[in-house]
Amino acid sequence: IETARIFDFEEFPAKDKVTYMYYTGRLEVFNENFLAADQKLTYALTHCNSRSRTNLRMILKYLIPVKLSIGILPKMWLLEKYNLVEYADVVNALKRGDLQLLRRALQQHEDQFLRSGVYLVLEKLELQVYQRLVKKIYIIQKQKDPSKAHQIKLEVIVKALKWLEIDMDVDEVECIMSILIYKNLMKGYFAHKSKVVVLSKQDPFPKLNGKPVGS
Amino acid sequence: DEKEEGKETTQQWEDDWDDDDVNDDFSLQLRKELESNSEKS
Repeated sequence: IETARIFDFEEFPAKDKVTYMYYTGRLEVFNENFLAADQKLTYALTHCNSRSRTNLRMILKYLIPVKLSIGILPKMWLLEKYNLVEYADVVNALKRGDLQLLRRALQQHEDQFLRSGVYLVLEKLELQVYQRLVKKIYIIQKQKDPSKAHQIKLEVIVKALKWLEIDMDVDEVECIMSILIYKNLMKGYFAHKSKVVVLSKQDPFPKLNGKPVGS
Repeated sequence: DEKEEGKETTQQWEDDWDDDDVNDDFSLQLRKELESNSEKS
């Protein structure tokens, strides 16, 4: 039995290298190693025969959720071209900070997402959507009164969520906000008694810029 | 056609989408909602 021989990846035919990267990339998705998944699936995408649309679509089906989870969005034409429009509302939800839309999109395409195994990855995008929503509230407040903008009343977030038909009380919102702070999606602290989040004046909503959440 | 595909791959993704723009429909409605004090107890 000879297993000791070390193979050089580059020695293999291009086709096999793409296949290998596709499957190991998928494995990384399930292990939530999004950076490794991104790297492998991107390799597969760029080295795959650009004429085999079916293969490109298969790769993108996994690469898109990976990119989303590190804060990178696919362009709409890409979703249309490869008939991956089930991701369109997920993308819109992230852009808007529309939690209701994200939940609806996940529900609507639940079967598909569960079958391909990306449902849990997409579900975790909620935190990014919350971040975006709070950021929008912050910007809106800032335009109205810049001096108080960095203080966000939890009550205001509750109100915004209620508008999105999501019922949450102040305590639940406080919990979500503390997760955002813990995961470094938001910088600030609580004034627990007055039920206010005080945002850092410097870069209160750090961007992921290709990094996974909470790292 | 292949050349075109290659060019496309670099333009598939958007990493600078998290802007400060609050003039989209969603944000405008959100603003309206937040400014209405009708439900305040």
